[in-house]
Amino acid sequence: MENKQTRVLVIIPCYNEQENILNTVAALRSAAAALPYAVDWLVVNDCSTDQSAALLRENDIPFLDLPVNLGIGGAVQSGYRYACRQGYDIAVQMDGDGQHDPVYLDTIVAPVLAGELDMCIGSRFLEKKGFQTSFMRRVGIRFLSGCIRGLCGQRVLDVTSGFRATSAPLTAFFAEHYAADYPEPEAVLAASLAGFRIGEAPVQMKERQGGVSSISSFKSAYYMIKVTLSLVIARFSMRRTAKRQGGRP
Amino acid sequence: MTVQLQVYMLLGALALFCVIFFLLKKGMMSVKYSLLWLGLSVALVVVAACPYIMYVLSVVLSIEMPVNLVFLLMFVYVLLVLLSLSVAISQLAEKCRRLAQANALLEQRLRELERQHSAE
Repeated sequence: MENKQTRVLVIIPCYNEQENILNTVAALRSAAAALPYAVDWLVVNDCSTDQSAALLRENDIPFLDLPVNLGIGGAVQSGYRYACRQGYDIAVQMDGDGQHDPVYLDTIVAPVLAGELDMCIGSRFLEKKGFQTSFMRRVGIRFLSGCIRGLCGQRVLDVTSGFRATSAPLTAFFAEHYAADYPEPEAVLAASLAGFRIGEAPVQMKERQGGVSSISSFKSAYYMIKVTLSLVIARFSMRRTAKRQGGRP
Repeated sequence: MTVQLQVYMLLGALALFCVIFFLLKKGMMSVKYSLLWLGLSVALVVVAACPYIMYVLSVVLSIEMPVNLVFLLMFVYVLLVLLSLSVAISQLAEKCRRLAQANALLEQRLRELERQHSAE
């Protein structure tokens, strides 16, 4: 089962990450060499206004170049579409700002590869090691986590983590249905309602290495209201599907 | 309703009709979206020409001044038009997203083909 026949695609959304993107890809390259499956990567340049696109082109890194800015959801979804079309077994979403350490790639890929889960989320809060983010954000994340648990019964601690591996059927699902603006919590809910098995694996995250986060403190209130509302709407717009069975899909 | 108000409503409906016709002629608005506004101008003409409808309706709904009913109905109608525009914008945004993604995927494929071609 574990040979280089299995292909994993790492999708890295990138918006104005000229300081980080090359380091991220380099770290991924060195981490991927030791793994027993083939790892490819695809940067999705979400119409960056800095030198990101030029850097990607010069360094011959595979990338998608979005002609207009779609936001993180639209960018990641294009990656899922690519993974789907190219027939990858597993798609991994990983931030381009250096928060996610590719050393933990296998930690989140392994449960999906073993067929135990359809989505494995790299979670900061399982072992409470590494960068734990600010107190207010933890409160917000806990609130969203509670919302998701109340709406569909799925227990996920780190619902905003953008470091996650998805099986081929779930990748195909996300290629068609993916939330637009701040998609991570909504994707968990949608996947759970559609019957996909979701779990978490402990990882350590770093503080972002440079650039600006997509969620500024000024927008936090707007973010919380919007995400909570879209979670409730999503719950009512989807019908619950029975959970999939274990084993390789 | 006074005769003056009836005249103003007729003039307003005529102006609205002219503006819509101009926009349609210049291709600045599609027929699909003009229908709502044309409907409004037709309704204005009907009410101005036959205010009796408003008198009866205002009695039925126990609204003191028939003219207030006219304003209320116009307000509700404009709200509905605004809602329909929000729906249309959301659909356009979704189509735009799909197009941008398809474009990016094609562009990447083309770049890959060019690279293979130049390598040969």
